[in-house]
Amino acid sequence: MSSKLEIFNALKSVAITPQPMPCFNIAPRIDDLVGQFEASLTTVAGTLHRDGGLTNLQATVDEHIAQGMQVISMVDGIKGNREVTATAHELRDIDYAVIPGDVGVAENGAIWVNNKNLGHRVTPFICENLLLVIEAKSIVANMHQAANLITLASGEFGTYIAGPSKTADIEQALVVGAHGACSLNVYLT
Amino acid sequence: MSTSTSNVHAHKAEIFCRDESRVDWHSKALWALREKRDRAAGSIPEWEQLRQIGSEMKLHTLTHLAEYLEEFEQNCIKNDIKVHWAKDGAEHNRIVHEILAKHQVKKIVKSKSMLTEECHMNPYLEERGIEVIDTDLGERIIQLAKMPPSHIVVPAIHMKKEEVGDLFHQKLGTDAGASDPLYLTRAARRHLREQFLSADAAMTGVNMAIADKGAVVVCTNEGNADMGANLPKLQLHSMGIDKVVPDLDSAAVLLRTLARNATGQPITTYSSFYRGPQDGGEMHVIIVDNGRTDMLKDKILAESLKCIRCGGCLNTCPVYRRSGGYSYNYTIPGPIGIAVGAQHDDTNSIAWACTLCGSCSYVCPTKVPLDKIIHHHRRLKAEAGKLPYGKSSYMPLVGKFMASETALNCSMAMARTALKILPGSLLKPFSGAWGKYRELPVAPNSSFEAWFKKNRG
Ligand code: SF4
Repeated sequence: MSSKLEIFNALKSVAITPQPMPCFNIAPRIDDLVGQFEASLTTVAGTLHRDGGLTNLQATVDEHIAQGMQVISMVDGIKGNREVTATAHELRDIDYAVIPGDVGVAENGAIWVNNKNLGHRVTPFICENLLLVIEAKSIVANMHQAANLITLASGEFGTYIAGPSKTADIEQALVVGAHGACSLNVYLT
Repeated sequence: MSTSTSNVHAHKAEIFCRDESRVDWHSKALWALREKRDRAAGSIPEWEQLRQIGSEMKLHTLTHLAEYLEEFEQNCIKNDIKVHWAKDGAEHNRIVHEILAKHQVKKIVKSKSMLTEECHMNPYLEERGIEVIDTDLGERIIQLAKMPPSHIVVPAIHMKKEEVGDLFHQKLGTDAGASDPLYLTRAARRHLREQFLSADAAMTGVNMAIADKGAVVVCTNEGNADMGANLPKLQLHSMGIDKVVPDLDSAAVLLRTLARNATGQPITTYSSFYRGPQDGGEMHVIIVDNGRTDMLKDKILAESLKCIRCGGCLNTCPVYRRSGGYSYNYTIPGPIGIAVGAQHDDTNSIAWACTLCGSCSYVCPTKVPLDKIIHHHRRLKAEAGKLPYGKSSYMPLVGKFMASETALNCSMAMARTALKILPGSLLKPFSGAWGKYRELPVAPNSSFEAWFKKNRG
């Protein structure tokens, strides 16, 4: 008998009586979504740039490039100095990655990013610093609303990113910058 | 596991308690997490509603597991994900090794998975010549120190920064005496980047498996799961059968409570959804039973499978905080560790490592009735005639004694007098283990019975 069959046979004697799926309807907090989002992003150690949009971002990118940084941009209208590499491993020296976010979540500051816009899946993790771009109108109140909006087609990878990578594994001291990006700046358009 | 009494919970806890200042420090570190959790929970008006939905949704899935697992597998196949089934840890390890051997993997980077710990996968693969690198910082620390995890979310919570500093000095060549967490974390970052970039395969645990999408969700703060899985072409994910949830909406409910209840963050930094391999890559999911279907056959034990491994019950538990993760004889310590591990405990003492205060059940985001489960374990042990050392000999006597009114009243009167007139030092030895870390009570003037007769009778 295959192990799958064995497991399924054992599952015939589950002792709890079958329970229905709960329906739920949680009222979203819809006042000042951008403000809520900004507050949440701050608690997860990210920074929101409300004004100036892509112009502001391009100016920042230009500054980084002038300082000799390696910048890859996956956002239309933003020009970096690096192209998508043949292998994911070649992105190891990227200082800044500019990536478009699809949906922002006000309650926790998370931004949904889909691999269609990443070049390689590892781009937002392997870069030293991450610059995300999000449209103000794509910010929703909570995770329930986000679940209805995010896209994840067959074969895809997507991730909610809430702040730069961090750890508190050494005596509970919060250190920003573990394996992923060491900083996160979000630009609102 | 040996049944010698030195392995019983109280003895192991005693070893941990020898250094009182460390115990206080351990307790405080965990209590800080509990307080952060309370603040995060309090900031969501619908918190209690989320717990209720989480509990009902998990119960629904657990009572329809066959359908959801079947649906999950079918959808995975459509997404070009290869699915394997393992009835126990040994089979899990065999499957993993077969996949790795086929691809001639020499080095695998692993992201925190309590399931692979439960299966003892690392030593199995290492014996077969495969280098396994744990990549979560806490996991890497204890791996270098050759220790098991002492907590399910913060596995190196028992270590001081000076100890980590010494360890990194020996293993990673950091400066002698350096103990600054930022400095040490940066050193680990450099060291682990090299591992990610040179690994042939990656493995992660699974926080949720989404049936109607055929996707797995992995949550980390460090980004280690994603640095791992998105670099080499081969990615593996191990999951217990209890990890499946119906759809994205259900996952959203749990994503709202998981991190808030674990560390007080509004969500983990990365919540990643894998719905297929990267271009030219291969993705495998291994679905593991390892005793879970047995637990489902018991109405009360079954509910422990609602657990989403947030660690909240450990942080709040007064016994865990003061006895440490290594005193539980199981990979998973604390209240949930007793719930899922007590049946494997040969010393039969772990079910008693609990005051039944109920704090764990109160904080649990999916309402696992932990105190009820732990109490049930005691009953199961008693019924099997496996009361731990000490309890089996005097408990029946206590029962007889308590049942006799004269004997009880008479001895209680004696005890009250003794507590009043004899010095504590003389009496303490009679209180046994109970009195070891406790002050003797102040004796009331009369018995409750006499008070009741006078005032209410
Ligand atoms: S039993 Fe509940 S509180 Fe404990 S780890 Fe599991 S989900 Fe968290």
